[in-house]
Amino acid sequence: MANGTWKIARRGNTQLPLVIVLALAVALVLLGKAQSNLFDRARTAIIDKMQPLLVVVQAPISEFDRFLGSVDELFAVYHQNLLLKDENARLRQWRNVAVVMQDRVKRYQSLLHAVPDPDIRSVLSQVIGRANRPFLQTMILDAGAGNNVKPGEAVVDARGMIGRIYLTGQRTSWVILLTDLNSRIPVAVAPGNHQAIMVGDNTATPTLDTLSQTVTLHAGDQVVSSGDGGLLPPGLPVGTVVEQAGQYRVALLADAASAQDVEILAFRRPPEELPANARSQLPAVAAGLKPAAPVPAAPATLPAAPTSTGAAPTHALPSPVPGAAPSVQPKPALTRAAPTHALPSPVSGAAPGAPTKTAHSAQPNGAATVTVPLQAQPPAFGTVAPQPQAAPDTNQTPAGQADQDR
Amino acid sequence: MELNERTGTAMGGRLISALVPVLVAFLAVLASSLPLSLTNGLVPAPLLGLVPIYFWCLVRPDLMTPAGVFGIGLFQDILAGGPPGVWTLSFVVAYAVIERQREAFAGLSGLGAVLGFATAVLIASACAYATVALYYWHAPPISPIVAELVVTVLLYIPGAYLVGVVHRRLVGPLRSDF
Repeated sequence: MANGTWKIARRGNTQLPLVIVLALAVALVLLGKAQSNLFDRARTAIIDKMQPLLVVVQAPISEFDRFLGSVDELFAVYHQNLLLKDENARLRQWRNVAVVMQDRVKRYQSLLHAVPDPDIRSVLSQVIGRANRPFLQTMILDAGAGNNVKPGEAVVDARGMIGRIYLTGQRTSWVILLTDLNSRIPVAVAPGNHQAIMVGDNTATPTLDTLSQTVTLHAGDQVVSSGDGGLLPPGLPVGTVVEQAGQYRVALLADAASAQDVEILAFRRPPEELPANARSQLPAVAAGLKPAAPVPAAPATLPAAPTSTGAAPTHALPSPVPGAAPSVQPKPALTRAAPTHALPSPVSGAAPGAPTKTAHSAQPNGAATVTVPLQAQPPAFGTVAPQPQAAPDTNQTPAGQADQDR
Repeated sequence: MELNERTGTAMGGRLISALVPVLVAFLAVLASSLPLSLTNGLVPAPLLGLVPIYFWCLVRPDLMTPAGVFGIGLFQDILAGGPPGVWTLSFVVAYAVIERQREAFAGLSGLGAVLGFATAVLIASACAYATVALYYWHAPPISPIVAELVVTVLLYIPGAYLVGVVHRRLVGPLRSDF
């Protein structure tokens, strides 16, 4: 504090280092942009070391927070009690409805041989820290890689989803909250099952992005995780739709600021295996053309042909439209035979013009994944038919997207 | 012999006095970056690391070097999370401005000194905001950074008092040889 009681030191000759340090700082930002996980290892190592201290310090702070919160509530206890009684009576009615509906859904699933819901392993964890920074909203949990916690897994409390794990140390893990700038998760809005991406913007209500322009939502519509990408389980309660300034936003159900014990859900949808390609499934065969005969490998002593006369490997590219002729026909070699590669069609096993869908069928020994042409094998009435699943997984995983954004 | 011992003691003292400002800044960053909140997450964590930087940049710039400020910002980046390098650049830019206008800042006292610090925090916050906006290519909400600025400025008064105590006790009175 330069209040006149201290002498002022003379200015040092620091101009040159300052310029260099400024350049280094700019370079660090650019390096961080190129490699966003630059400090992740150091950060997790420090927090891992501090975990016992955080656990000890967090307890009185939580009590202090709880005390501060309860001071406000003291003045509204009577009114809140009346509201809670009313809400409790209504919830009891809804509980009875839910039990009946749950039994009905189970019966329908049994009748339809629906794919059973996957088992979700969960790790119960305690919140040992919260960081509310202008560009990062996160919480730290006392479970890490040592507890099989992996980045990308969903974190929920009793009310709904809070966020996702984005960084794991050995004993701790960092949660990126749904409200954070970097948070993007695929959600579905009910009723209507409208698909959207929920984007955090450091406000309490994340926005709904990539929503179809023809869709009209209403305040109070339920927002749940859609499960697209296969990283988050579908149907996790997230929040309700609110409209603010002509923009759809989501009022979250979970309160990350007050959550103490949370669950980390380990959910990985097993990837669908592609069927083995048979010769009859080659696109050339599907298009009615004669497939290229496999050419034996050229002898090692064959001299290399000049570029102008030598034939490059010819690729028979499949048409994106099933059944259509390949856009590039195999060309005969000019001077000598060259290996010809016929790439398989993206929709393998499809007859020309026959659309296919990947379908799952429930078998007694578990769910199996098969690929069937929909029109080629119509299921007979009364037989067990594979149930088509119309929403394939996308490759856009939230973790990958967050990594790109970070 | 006695002269050598005196010289050694003096050199050790100088080394300690040279390290204390940076160490205090590191401690301030550590304290403000602990993932603990007394306000249930309502108020963002302050930029306590800027208090010792501002203080010693005015009082003893030879003890708060640009390299030290770079290290302090780097430590803040590591602990705070978020885009890497943002606080390093912000701290160095704020330091550069303070160092350039040092005579003007050092002449302030009382409320003026607080406003001077607020200016330094404003520069650091604006730099961080602009960097993050460029980083994500869209403007983040401005209210959290304004809240952080306000909290940091409010905590400057007790923070500067503590730093002043450390300066008087550990760094010692200003010597006549500099």
